[in-house]
Amino acid sequence: MIKQLSVFVQNEIGSLAGVTSVLKDNNINLRAIASFDTPEFAILRIVVDQPEKAKSLLSEHGFAVKMSEAVAVELIDKPGALDGMLHVIADAGLGVNYIYSIVVREGKVPLMIINTEDLPKTAAVLREKGYTVAEQEDIKS
Amino acid sequence: MIWNETKECMSRDELHNLQSARLKKMVSRVYHNVEFYRKKMQQMGIEPGDIKDIDDLVKLPFTTKNDLRENYPFGLFAVPQSEVVRIHASSGTTGKATVVGYTRRDIEIWQECVARVLAMDGVGPQDKIQVAYGYGLFTGGLGLHYGAETIGATVVPMSTGNTQRLITMMEDFGATAIACTPSYLLHIAETLEEAGKIDNIKLKAAICGAEPWTDNMRKEIEEKLHLKAYDIYGLSEILGPGVAADCEYHTGLHVYEDHFVPEIIHPETLEPCKEGEVGELVFTTITKEALPLLRYRTKDLTSISYDKCECGRTLARISRFKGRSDDMLIIRGVNVFPSQVEAALLELGETSPHYLLIVDRINNLDYLEVQVEVEERFFSDEIKELENLTKKISHVLHSALGLSVKVKLVEPKTIARSEGKAKRVIDKRKLI
Repeated sequence: MIKQLSVFVQNEIGSLAGVTSVLKDNNINLRAIASFDTPEFAILRIVVDQPEKAKSLLSEHGFAVKMSEAVAVELIDKPGALDGMLHVIADAGLGVNYIYSIVVREGKVPLMIINTEDLPKTAAVLREKGYTVAEQEDIKS
Repeated sequence: MIWNETKECMSRDELHNLQSARLKKMVSRVYHNVEFYRKKMQQMGIEPGDIKDIDDLVKLPFTTKNDLRENYPFGLFAVPQSEVVRIHASSGTTGKATVVGYTRRDIEIWQECVARVLAMDGVGPQDKIQVAYGYGLFTGGLGLHYGAETIGATVVPMSTGNTQRLITMMEDFGATAIACTPSYLLHIAETLEEAGKIDNIKLKAAICGAEPWTDNMRKEIEEKLHLKAYDIYGLSEILGPGVAADCEYHTGLHVYEDHFVPEIIHPETLEPCKEGEVGELVFTTITKEALPLLRYRTKDLTSISYDKCECGRTLARISRFKGRSDDMLIIRGVNVFPSQVEAALLELGETSPHYLLIVDRINNLDYLEVQVEVEERFFSDEIKELENLTKKISHVLHSALGLSVKVKLVEPKTIARSEGKAKRVIDKRKLI
């Protein structure tokens, strides 16, 4: 299980850059980023190397931030790999709320970050089928 | 036509005597029947006997909307409940409504006042009038309705909310008059234009009120619909629509001074203003039975003129309104206080209480957007939760204000906090 931060941002020019500049100014490394929008606002989800520090910095800068857990699964780079993983989750009766990825991992395989209504169960069923579920330490550097 | 020439054209001296006699009776009545006024007068060391004529009005205590709220619902009523035949209510500044009551005689006076307005606007028994103010607790619909019946016009009680049906009936019935808010009438005019029906319409008079409007808007309405548009003013605390209205010369609104005595005061010093000087409009009702009010502060800013009008009426005229001395907004004819929004948000307790109201007029209809800051402790990282929150806020604001509201969630601390009075409202309509 890894930690992700969700940040409330308005649909306005420069609102994402407002978040990333706080991270840059404090030397926090972004591992993954995904933005889910509605006409009025967006939720920016990020995975960083220092989640606690990033959370308190963003809160200090006036952002509404929530830290939560997500399942990160290693994905082998071949056709059908994601399909197989999603079937494991669906077969366990779990719905995916959202999914995004960490692609660049300095020689390691990409990670899919998945949110469902039951994270421990999701991690367990994936492990059972031989998938490697990453922990926070795995994305440190 | 002048409905009641005796009263509307009486000499200022005669009016002075009439007002003095009525005020004396009224003060004695409130002193004996309304504890609130008796206490206030006792604190100020005044007795009913000290009020000898209308010029003694300045000795009497003021009444505010807050006094009505503190005595909610019936604390300021001066008659037993068995004599009250009607209740109306309008929005209060925070939560509780402002409740007003009428005896049978009060209703008759109300009918008389609206009849005077309609006669002044050229409406009579030959006319078919669509009343498109809201019916119900709001005084607009029923106020115009009873007045129009009094002059013998054929009343079509449309109420609000269905423009298509209104237009169909306007065409099919050959309506000759309409009563509604001026912005809604412009909206109707545009809808008629788009449908190519504007030449089928037989309207000749429009009685517009319940919100501020400009002389330019009046001219636009008159040109588009080929009719004469008139301004009607009122507030439920004093009566409802029919406290004052303008004649065909449009040089101010004639106040029915034989029932409601106007004063203009400095909103801060509370001292009387000179004739023609802009200040806050204050009314004393001198014939009301159920809810007589002494020197009620309307918070509307205007000036007054006592010159005789070209139309022949001697009644004082108040100018078009220059704004408010408080922060009340009128949106689609509905009174909205920013404090109501704050109270509703605090009660819901799922956002920060910081908000910004943005009022705009698009295609002649008023829109209210309420921006609310997302607070970190209530922030969910799921879009559907945030959308639910938006819906929940819209719902509580709709029930608090009686108006549909567009809610926009914004980032924390993005709504300006100014020292002193916070900037809570951006009104883009430019009505004054």
